[in-house]
Amino acid sequence: MVGATPCASCKLLRRRCAKDCIFAPYFPPDDPHKFAIVHKIFGASNVSKMLQEIPVQQRGDAVSSLVFEANARSRDPVYGCVGAISYLQNQVSQLQMQLAVAQAEILCFQMQQQQQQQQQDHHHQQPNNIPITTQQMMNQDEKSLLLSTSNFDYNLLQQQYLNFSSTTSNNIVMQDPPKRESLWT
Amino acid sequence: MTSTRSRCAACKYLRRKCPSDCIFSPYFPSDDPQRFSCVHRIYGASNIGKMLKQLPVQLRADAANSLYFEAHSREADPVYGCVGIITNLNEEIHDAETELAKIQAHIGVHHQTKNPEDGEASQSGHSPVQQQ
Repeated sequence: MVGATPCASCKLLRRRCAKDCIFAPYFPPDDPHKFAIVHKIFGASNVSKMLQEIPVQQRGDAVSSLVFEANARSRDPVYGCVGAISYLQNQVSQLQMQLAVAQAEILCFQMQQQQQQQQQDHHHQQPNNIPITTQQMMNQDEKSLLLSTSNFDYNLLQQQYLNFSSTTSNNIVMQDPPKRESLWT
Repeated sequence: MTSTRSRCAACKYLRRKCPSDCIFSPYFPSDDPQRFSCVHRIYGASNIGKMLKQLPVQLRADAANSLYFEAHSREADPVYGCVGIITNLNEEIHDAETELAKIQAHIGVHHQTKNPEDGEASQSGHSPVQQQ
């Protein structure tokens, strides 16, 4: 039937919405803001090129992440998503410190317990090495301390932008750091 | 004497003359052509220029750096870009908080074992997550 509603992209770009429009599945006409913000930051042409290079089954996620980044950049024109990343990295560092302190404390307790047990039970020698539960916790600690850097040399880029991370912490605009569940809202 | 200032990476890429007030030149030096080509691929020169022009001069360097970071992230991960990094960090925080709560529970038990009659002193003063 002729006269199907054009998608939000084609409405904004004032063009005919083709049957195989690359934007149509992801930018429905009832949410014009979604495409508007992506177009403002990235440009329709760039978004189209990016989507064409991605398998169809991943384009939905790609669009969601582009919308997220565009909104972040719109809210914070200086730092965009990098502000959120800096904030979260700060949180990770603080948690790692707290973890280290807590693990040191528990290690102390266990060593004290071990010494007490050795003193009380003089005839039954305990092994000299650290109890297995603490070893397991330490291995778990090593795992949890690692930042996942699966895709690229993030650490190199991190060093690059650490020069302005001190100002970043003073200028964080993101009130709600994105959580896993609400990333796409 | 005519100036022989070399073009910035942006103007080289765009094959145009680099004016003395070029918006790109302070942030896209000619010795790092990859930096501009990366942001250009994701945002386009026009959008970069607009974004930089809308900012006070003292904030433009930070903005250019963050744009480059995001563009590089998007090139490395075309589906999620730097949102993938945010997801990973959130998961990391979640795991660390869980681990911390577990360990602090252990500490609580140890305190209680040590001072069974002293209920107040046996509780650790730590909260699971110290919020900023």
